[in-house]
Amino acid sequence: MQNKNSKYGEIQLVHRMTVIKRIIHWSFFAAIINNIITGFYIAYPFLIFGKTPTQADSLSTGVLNSGETYQAFIMTWMREFHFIGAVIIDVIFFVWLYLAFFSWKEPLYKSFIPFGDKLEEAWRMLKHYFTLKDRPKTGRYQDPLNAIIFTLFHLLILLQMLTGFQMYVASFTGTSAVGAWWPWLLHFSTDWTLVVFGGLTGVTLVHLFIMWLIIIFIAYHVYIEVWRSVMWKEGDILIPFGGYKYMRNKSESESES
Amino acid sequence: MASNQDSNSKNSNSNGNNPEKDFKWDPLRFISKKPDEVLKKVDDRLDELEKEYFSGKKDKEENLPNILELYGVSRRDFLKWSAFLTSALMLPYIFEPRVARAANILTRTPFIWLDMADCMGNTEGFLRTAHPTPAEIILNYVSVNYMESIMAPAGYQAEARKTETVKKYKGKYILVVEGAIPTGMDGKFLTIGAKGDTGLKITRETAKHAGIIIAVGNCAAYGGIPAANPNPTSAVGLSSVTNRSVINIPACPANPVNLVGTLVEYILIGKAPQLDSLGRPLWAYSGRLHDNCYRRGHFEAGEYVREWGDDGAKKQYCLYMMGCKGPFTWNNCTTAEYNQDISFPMRAGHGCIGCSQPAFWDRMTPFEKPNADAKIIIPGIEATADEFGVGLFAAAGAGIAAHAIYTGVKKKKEHKKSKNEKNDNSGKNDDNKKE
Repeated sequence: MQNKNSKYGEIQLVHRMTVIKRIIHWSFFAAIINNIITGFYIAYPFLIFGKTPTQADSLSTGVLNSGETYQAFIMTWMREFHFIGAVIIDVIFFVWLYLAFFSWKEPLYKSFIPFGDKLEEAWRMLKHYFTLKDRPKTGRYQDPLNAIIFTLFHLLILLQMLTGFQMYVASFTGTSAVGAWWPWLLHFSTDWTLVVFGGLTGVTLVHLFIMWLIIIFIAYHVYIEVWRSVMWKEGDILIPFGGYKYMRNKSESESES
Repeated sequence: MASNQDSNSKNSNSNGNNPEKDFKWDPLRFISKKPDEVLKKVDDRLDELEKEYFSGKKDKEENLPNILELYGVSRRDFLKWSAFLTSALMLPYIFEPRVARAANILTRTPFIWLDMADCMGNTEGFLRTAHPTPAEIILNYVSVNYMESIMAPAGYQAEARKTETVKKYKGKYILVVEGAIPTGMDGKFLTIGAKGDTGLKITRETAKHAGIIIAVGNCAAYGGIPAANPNPTSAVGLSSVTNRSVINIPACPANPVNLVGTLVEYILIGKAPQLDSLGRPLWAYSGRLHDNCYRRGHFEAGEYVREWGDDGAKKQYCLYMMGCKGPFTWNNCTTAEYNQDISFPMRAGHGCIGCSQPAFWDRMTPFEKPNADAKIIIPGIEATADEFGVGLFAAAGAGIAAHAIYTGVKKKKEHKKSKNEKNDNSGKNDDNKKE
């Protein structure tokens, strides 16, 4: 133990994610996975229910038979779960936005300000990824590179929300069960997407494309957290599970000298 | 009134017979808070127009029956049709006789139909019907002062007819424009008539003094096929070349019911009906095809046609996978229907191609594939959103793998090196400053 400590420095337990943030993290994850699957179905209905004989002759053209039309309604369910997932994502986005500024523990904006310094630190982190040297200290706070990437990711989510709501409001005819303010609000906040992306079809394609960027983000995010855990030996991957990570006084590159 | 430059004000279409600018007209929810007043206004307006356009009581009462008789349409059929149109216009039952009166007046209202850059499909759609409904008959018998395809005069005479109408019925005539207006090279891509005037000039001059301006068909409304990418003639829709407000009746071709309905509503109230953000009358274009489609249940049930003529097609399953653009299109095809009110694309077994939306030739293609298979518009990239996404994902995955391997190799090397260094006992300090 003494040996290891002298090699890697003193181990310290650092609280990084509160219970609330962990709940947010995992419900966000579940909702996004749910929306990717259901969204794929909405774009390409890959299962055919209530199939006819010629449509069921291979796996790719339909495998499930639930009988009559009135018994199936798979698209309805897919859309329903897509909307439920979307509501969860929307709520989480706004909670994230709130916490990014007013979190008691660690508001995200502190990882940006002062802007110049943090940007430089992010750049150093990026260099560290490729040189494995000169690791900037991360311990008690979100490192700026992650903060920037998470913010970009949330901007993608925001764009996904806006394009999604534009498609959602398309079936409204001026009013709704909760009043005319609701479609009005959606039109007001999302109609610009029609102009920018070229009509509802363009909005749909953008929605589909951003999904791929989000999938790429998930892959990157998992990889880099595993990489950090392996390389830094500070248990970064444990943060969203237990809320804690370890911190060493000395980094490995220091100890190696 | 006619020279009202405010293109946003719907009231600028008023032909002067009805000067009340704040005349409230909202058939989608409720007509007005004072229904009696509105009815009186409508009645007064109809009386006035009847006095103006008919020579006497006999003329007024026999005009429409004479026309309809020619086509074997009975009075009963006409009443059914006017009831249908009344409900299509979202007007209460009390308006039915008034709609019938307005249809009668419509046949005498001066009318100019301009043909610009298009296939004249709308003209064909209205004129060539085997069993015309009252909508088509009324369109055939409107007092057409100028319409190239059916008028007797030609050349200078035709031009004279048009100028005369514009002068005589200043602010009263109905102007229907069909076809896109090329604006490239000062509009010289399209010249019409004996004087060789450009379409741009003709539309601008005629639109200036029209009582109501209607762009019929997708080309006139949004540029349509002439304006499709790359749009060599810089064709645009009518609303882009005039600062008067334009009522768009898009679709390819437009449904005669929508045109006649809009004209009847104009006769009734003297101004444009309520329009949506794309300038289309809300009574006809407020419903999405997908939401009103009779195959919607199969969409929800996950029952789709997978190839032309398969069992699903025979059972009239949803055409979503065959590229139906109903989810992106607003029109009343599913309720008002085409071809003498008997069919529309989905009933005929083919998906919607979105012809009543702007730039449909660019945005709705490929017509027979789902929208997700459309190419995304990023310069230099020709791929669907998924192909491009998968490509990026693969690139990202390759990057991650490369980084992982690089890290592993480098780590090993450094490990070896540091071991060697340790063995040599010649370690040197890392001079990197840390906070």
